[in-house]
Amino acid sequence: MIELKIDNRTVEANEGETVLQAALRHGIEIPHFCYHPCLSIAGNCRICLVKVTGRPKLMPSCNLAVTPGMEIETDSDDVIAARQAVMQFITLNHPGECGICDKAGECRLQDYHVRYGEPESISLEPKNKKPKFYDISPRILLDSERCILCSRCVRFTKEVSGSHQLGIVERGNHSRLERLESQPMDDPYSDNIIGLCPVGALLSRDFLYQSRVWYLEPIRSVCTGCSRCCSVKVWRRNRHWHLRSLGEEMNRKVYRVTPQENREINGPWICNKGFDLHKFMGRKRLLQPMIGGSVATVDEALSEAKKLLAAAKSPAALVSAHASNEELAAFKETLGSRMTVYSREDYKAEEGEVVEDNILIRENKNPNSHGVHAMFGDLPWSVDSGHDLVLVWGDNVDYTPMGNAKVIHLASFEMPQERHADVLIPISTTFERSGSFTNFEGKVNRFTKVFDKPGLVQQAGDVFGRLGA
Amino acid sequence: MKKDYWNKPEMGLWERLYIFEVVRGLCITGGVFFGNMWKWLTFRKGALTAYYPEEIRSDYSPNNRGRHVLTRRENGEVQCVSCNMCATVCPAYAIEILSTANFDDHFHPKAPERFEIDYSRCIFCGFCVEACPEDAIRMVKEVPDFPTYDRNNLWATQDLLMNWRPTCNPAKIYPAAQKALEEVHP
Ligand code: SF4
Ligand code: SF4
Ligand code: SF4
Ligand code: SF4
Ligand code: SF4
Ligand code: FES
Repeated sequence: MIELKIDNRTVEANEGETVLQAALRHGIEIPHFCYHPCLSIAGNCRICLVKVTGRPKLMPSCNLAVTPGMEIETDSDDVIAARQAVMQFITLNHPGECGICDKAGECRLQDYHVRYGEPESISLEPKNKKPKFYDISPRILLDSERCILCSRCVRFTKEVSGSHQLGIVERGNHSRLERLESQPMDDPYSDNIIGLCPVGALLSRDFLYQSRVWYLEPIRSVCTGCSRCCSVKVWRRNRHWHLRSLGEEMNRKVYRVTPQENREINGPWICNKGFDLHKFMGRKRLLQPMIGGSVATVDEALSEAKKLLAAAKSPAALVSAHASNEELAAFKETLGSRMTVYSREDYKAEEGEVVEDNILIRENKNPNSHGVHAMFGDLPWSVDSGHDLVLVWGDNVDYTPMGNAKVIHLASFEMPQERHADVLIPISTTFERSGSFTNFEGKVNRFTKVFDKPGLVQQAGDVFGRLGA
Repeated sequence: MKKDYWNKPEMGLWERLYIFEVVRGLCITGGVFFGNMWKWLTFRKGALTAYYPEEIRSDYSPNNRGRHVLTRRENGEVQCVSCNMCATVCPAYAIEILSTANFDDHFHPKAPERFEIDYSRCIFCGFCVEACPEDAIRMVKEVPDFPTYDRNNLWATQDLLMNWRPTCNPAKIYPAAQKALEEVHP
C-alpha cells in the first residue's frame, strides 16, 4: 500500500499502480482518451495531465507511477488551462459533426469538450481534409477526420487480438490510421475497436445511422455463439422513444450488441459472432404450433403431444444445449425420469468460422453443453437405439435419422424438413426469456428478457410443466 | 360554508327576474346568427364565423407557428441531416425520423429516408425549429387543412413537409456550399 494525496484527499494505491488508476479507483475523475485498463499505456493524448507538487511540469497521470507521499492536483488553474490547450489541439482538425456522428451521446471527446473545452477553436487555419467513410473491413468504416490518433485500436490489434492489422502512418498533421495490409481487415475480434475508439472514427456498418444512441437502452444478456457464454449488452429501443409511424417492428428490433464487461468470463471483449448475435436471433422464426404439418392451437398441440407421450413404449428426449439451466431443471422434474435422455449440440462450427483460439472462442458452438452434461450426462443420440418416440428440443435438427419414430419438436427457428414433425411447438429464443447458462469452465452467466415472446410461442419450461402434469 | 368568489355577480331586480335577461341574451346571439346568415345568403364576405377549414383566416399573426416545412438545398434535396435534434427536443414526441446513408454526397452523407410529424400530438411549440442546427425545419404562419376522419391522416410525411408551401418558398441558396463543391469536384 502506498499513500498519496490527490486533491487533498489521502488515497491508498497499490504497488505499481499509476496515478490515473488510483484516482479512478477512488472515484476521482481525471479525463483520459488513450488510457484503457486492458491495453498497454501509450501516453499520447495528454488530456490526463496533472500537477505534481515539487515538479516543474505537468505530468500525464496515466503514465506516472505512484510514489509514497506524492501530492497531486487534478483541478488547479494550470491543469485546467493545460486541458483546455490539449482540447484545442485535439480538435484542431476535428470536423465537429456530432449531428451526423453515430458516437454522439457516448463520445468521450464530446463529453470532455463540454466539460473541459473552450467553446470555440482558436485556430485560424482551415481544417485538414482526410478520408471519410473508408472501409477498413467489411464490417467497419473509418472516418479519419474524426480520429484523434489515440492508438487504442492499434494497440488492440497488437496486444489483444494479435492480428497486427492496423497502424498509424504519415507524420504530424497528416498522421492517419490505416489498415496495414492490402486485403480488407480480417480479425475475428475486430468489432471491439468500434466501442474502444473514444470518438466516432470507427463505425459499425451494421449500426450506421440506425438510431441515435440515446433512444436505446442496453439489456444484459449472454452470447449463445459458443460455450464461453460472454456477457453482452443487447440494445433495444427505450420505451420512452417507441415509434408509431415508422412501424411497430422497429420497437422489437435489436439495434446492436456490444460487450458487457465481465471479469470472470470475457473481460471487456467479445468476438464478432457475439456482435452479430441479433442476426442469429433474427432468422426466420417458427410462430405457429402444428400437428403433422397442419395448423393447430397451442392447446391442441399440447394435448396431442401428451397423447403421443402416453402411448409411447420407449420414449427418448434430445436435450438442447441452448436450453437454460432453469428449463433443464424443469424438464428433469417433469419428463426427465420417464424417458431416455440424450444430449445434443444444436450447432457446429460453420465453414470459415474460427473453431477455437486461445482468446475467447471455444470449439463447442453452443452455450449450455456444460449444463446439459452436468444434469443428464453426455450420452449422444444414435439412430439404432430403437425408440418409438423422440422429443426433440432445440434447433437445427434433421428428422431423417429418427426413422419411423414419432417426433415432438420444440424449436425456435424454421428449418426445411423432409417430413413434418408429429407435433411442432414454437419456443422462445434467449432474447425472450430470462435464465442462466453454465459455460465450459462451469461459471454461470445470467441473461435477462429483452422482448416479450410473440403470442403463440411458448416457454419450454411451461410446455414441460403441462406435458408432465 | 359557501365560498366567496372575487367576481361574485352583483344582480339587480331585473337580472333576478331571470326570464327577461335570458330573452335578451337570445336576441344577441340570434341577431348575430341571422346577420351572418344574411351575409352568407347574399354571398358577402365578412361574416363573423370563419368557414374552417375551407376559409383561411386572414388575421394570423406574422409570428404564428402553423405547419412545418422542410427546407431544401440548392439541388432540391432535403436540407435535413437527420441529426434527430428536433425529435429529441420535441416535448410531444411528435417527430419520427428514419435515416439513410449516402457516401457519394460528400456534404450530406446522412439524410432522412422518412421524416414524419404527428399533428395529433404536436403542440406547435416551435422547439424543433429552434433546435435544428441546419435551418432544415421551419414553421410557416398558415395553418393548413388538418381536419380529418382518421388520426393516421394526421401524420405529415416528408413529401408533404417538403412540398407544402402555401405562400412562401423555403428553398434557399447556399453559395458557400456550391463553391466548396466546385473545389472538390472541379
Ligand atoms: S467523434 Fe465525438 S465529437 Fe467528434 S463528431 Fe463524433 S460525436 Fe462529435
Ligand atoms: S480510430 Fe479511434 S481508437 Fe483508433 S486511433 Fe483513432 S481515435 Fe484512437
Ligand atoms: S467467444 Fe463465444 S460466447 Fe463469446 S462472443 Fe464469441 S461466440 Fe459469443
Ligand atoms: S412544434 Fe413542438 S411539439 Fe410540434 S413537432 Fe415541433 S417540437 Fe414537437
Ligand atoms: S430537421 Fe433539423 S434538427 Fe431535425 S433532424 Fe433534420 S437537421 Fe436535425
Ligand atoms: S490518457 Fe494519459 S496521455 Fe492519454
